[in-house]
Amino acid sequence: MSDAAFLSLEKLTLAYGDTIAVKDLDLSIRKGELVAFLGPSGCGKTTTMRSIAGLLTPASGRISLDGTDITRVSANRRSVGLVFQSYALFPHLSVFENVAFGLRLKKLPASEIETRVTAGLKSVGLSKFATRKPAELSGGQQQRVALARSMVMEPKVLLLDEPLSNLDARLRLEMRTELQRVQKETGVTMIFVTHDQGEALSLADRIVVMLNGAIEQIGTPEDIYNRPVSRFVADFVGFENIFAAEGGKLKAANGPIALSESLPPDTAGLAWRPRMVTLGSGPFQGTVRGASFSGSTREYLLDTPLGAIKAEEDAGLAAHQPGTELTFDLPVAKAARLERFG
Amino acid sequence: MTPRVFSPLVLLLVIAFLIGPFFIIVAASLSGGETLAFPPQGFSLKWVAKVFTVESFRESFAVSMFLAIGGTAMALVLGIPASYALSRYKLPFGETVRTIVSLPIIVPGIIVGLALLRYIVVPFGFNITLALFLAHTALVLPYAVRVVSASLNNLRSDIEEAAVLLGSSRAGAFFRVVMPNIRSGILAAFILGFVTSFNQVPVSLFLSGPGVRTLPIDMLSYMEITYDPSVAALSALLAFMSIGIVFLAERFLGFSRYV
Amino acid sequence: MFQNRAEALALALPAAVFAAIVFLAPVVILLAEGFRSADSWSLVAYVDFFTDPLNRTVFLRTFRLGLMVTAVSAVIGYAAAFAIVNLSPRNKGQMIGLVVLPLMISSVARTYAWIVILGRTGIVNQALQLIGLSDEPIRFLFTETAVFIGLLQLFLPLMILSLISALENMPKDAIPAARVLGANWFQVFWKVILPLTKEGLVIGGTLVFTGSLTAYITPAILGGSKVLMLETLLYQRVTVASDFVSASVIAFILIVMSFAANLLLKRLATARNKR
Repeated sequence: MSDAAFLSLEKLTLAYGDTIAVKDLDLSIRKGELVAFLGPSGCGKTTTMRSIAGLLTPASGRISLDGTDITRVSANRRSVGLVFQSYALFPHLSVFENVAFGLRLKKLPASEIETRVTAGLKSVGLSKFATRKPAELSGGQQQRVALARSMVMEPKVLLLDEPLSNLDARLRLEMRTELQRVQKETGVTMIFVTHDQGEALSLADRIVVMLNGAIEQIGTPEDIYNRPVSRFVADFVGFENIFAAEGGKLKAANGPIALSESLPPDTAGLAWRPRMVTLGSGPFQGTVRGASFSGSTREYLLDTPLGAIKAEEDAGLAAHQPGTELTFDLPVAKAARLERFG
Repeated sequence: MTPRVFSPLVLLLVIAFLIGPFFIIVAASLSGGETLAFPPQGFSLKWVAKVFTVESFRESFAVSMFLAIGGTAMALVLGIPASYALSRYKLPFGETVRTIVSLPIIVPGIIVGLALLRYIVVPFGFNITLALFLAHTALVLPYAVRVVSASLNNLRSDIEEAAVLLGSSRAGAFFRVVMPNIRSGILAAFILGFVTSFNQVPVSLFLSGPGVRTLPIDMLSYMEITYDPSVAALSALLAFMSIGIVFLAERFLGFSRYV
Repeated sequence: MFQNRAEALALALPAAVFAAIVFLAPVVILLAEGFRSADSWSLVAYVDFFTDPLNRTVFLRTFRLGLMVTAVSAVIGYAAAFAIVNLSPRNKGQMIGLVVLPLMISSVARTYAWIVILGRTGIVNQALQLIGLSDEPIRFLFTETAVFIGLLQLFLPLMILSLISALENMPKDAIPAARVLGANWFQVFWKVILPLTKEGLVIGGTLVFTGSLTAYITPAILGGSKVLMLETLLYQRVTVASDFVSASVIAFILIVMSFAANLLLKRLATARNKR
């Protein structure tokens, strides 16, 4: 596996009519990588995926795959597979014929089609269902047919639109394992789109967080989870206490507040998860406004001069009653340091 | 009187009012007498048999069949692509296009026939058969667009994208993936168009010429001359034909889903 | 949604152009003719048309018959639709089938039946003479009554079907709730059923009204030249007198009425979708 870009997007701008959905996007993906496009709806992740598939022609910019410029190559000649969120199986064809559809268009010999479809169905565990119609299958089975249908084409890139969102919890785990297996066995480059940070964190090698048609952050799941670089990413991955910083001080509701440690001057903000907040000691004072018990932990909402603070403690520790005055600390060492606060 | 007793009685009367005349027609057509009468005078199939021997009925039946089949086929040839464009594309002036193709359903047929006669047939020297064909096509077009559109709107459009990504062309995707799935909608549109065209009178009123007139028009003029039960017999036969077609369509297609 | 505009136009234009040339253009020219007089625009034709007492009579009769058929079909329609929705699902399907059935039969055939029933030697006259209510045949054919009955039979199914769907969309508990609160059946209808099925009534009413207004066959067969309605008058003006100006005026009146009714229908349909 080389480090060179296998799929690259350069200065990609995508638009629906006059509405610009994605602007000047640059991204390169290595061969065999499993990448997640993560973001809220309307952030441009699906649009970007559709342009890679060729279902949307870019307003400007360049897409290249495996050393070839495919920007103007039509969708049916790109060697890009797509598993639709709704699976998009052909209702009038049997499972077998659904999987064979693309192979038949390639005019492969019947025996080879037979072999490849049978192998494809076997690999997703649906050999028994070859003669059924899609409507006779469960959602999870339909999705595996869609996966097999794309994979028998041996695409260079496999795109998946919200692959786990229509499944219940048990099937979700199954599908996650399935996708990882397929990726390991075939080494196909995979990109999936999701709005669920949990999915992205658990499945991807690398996550591309998008917002308003631009990339907010690219990184490994650990990077994204522990070191968000912007307020949006921090918020999206579960940081609840997020503050802007200026001149080395925190900007709170009623003026700047000095911290125990000095900050690098280019820090735009700091963010803490509730469990990073130390209760019972520290320079700050707050009043417990509310408390909730969630089994292993207790979560508190504090009224403080900094604004509302969410903190979390082990349920094993003694509970703080609402109304109690508490001291607390926001340890700079634990905080995520934000480069952008927009 | 409470509705519980009252309802079935009303229903019975209403159904008798709606269906009764149809049975009377059937009975009158089986009469042995020379004039239209009910109760029928004796039983005979002679009027039913006569229908098949009247030359003008045979001719106008052929004309009506041609219009119903040809006109509906033409309306589908125009209407299927239009419905597809309306349901799958962001069409400039989409609403205008939809209104134009749906208008013939709102404008009374007699006006369409007269306008066509006066401003197309006469000035351009079209023959009556062609004019009838155009008029019946225009008349069926709104039904074709409506039924096919409903069928297309029930079909997800991402299956076409899936077909394209598997190597199909756009046109190929339409014929391989869309057509097989809207086939019963198209058949339903055809049947609805056929029945509408076949039973249509006003649009053809002004569009009749020597030897060319539709069956209902022919029946109207036959009634003005003769008062024998053959028109009743013909009416009964046509009614059975329509009912039969619709019954089969409902049975095998679930016709009422589309109409 | 696909983006390619050229493709979309190529698909939609044949149908639109066809309808525009074969249908829209000729009809517009025909309508324009009624507003022309000696090479300028004018309303002379309309003034002339309504000056003629026969025309006025026909216009008013058409309007009156339309309203009467609509009103009576609404009354009968409610009773029938209410009876049908209260049947078991199986019987309901069969009854709806019986209501739809006449719609599939050619209106020539359906109207023709009334000649057998209402004619001089028809069933009604035979019955009247048999029970001694009348000594000689009463003329029913070529009266407004005959046209009214014919139109009612033709369009009643549309009203019943509209009301059935309106009644079925009504909340199931509305009627029992009103009964429990002490309303009698008259109050239940007036205060509960009518307001909740108003839209179905308007949709059915529009269909029946425009249908009656623009009917040709029924007035032609059952009314003849004695009971002209707007469409039969139009036909007569053209065939007897080649009077295309009157034809244009009548066409305009019919189209305006149809459009007004349709607009109302569309307005109501969107109002319902919004809710």
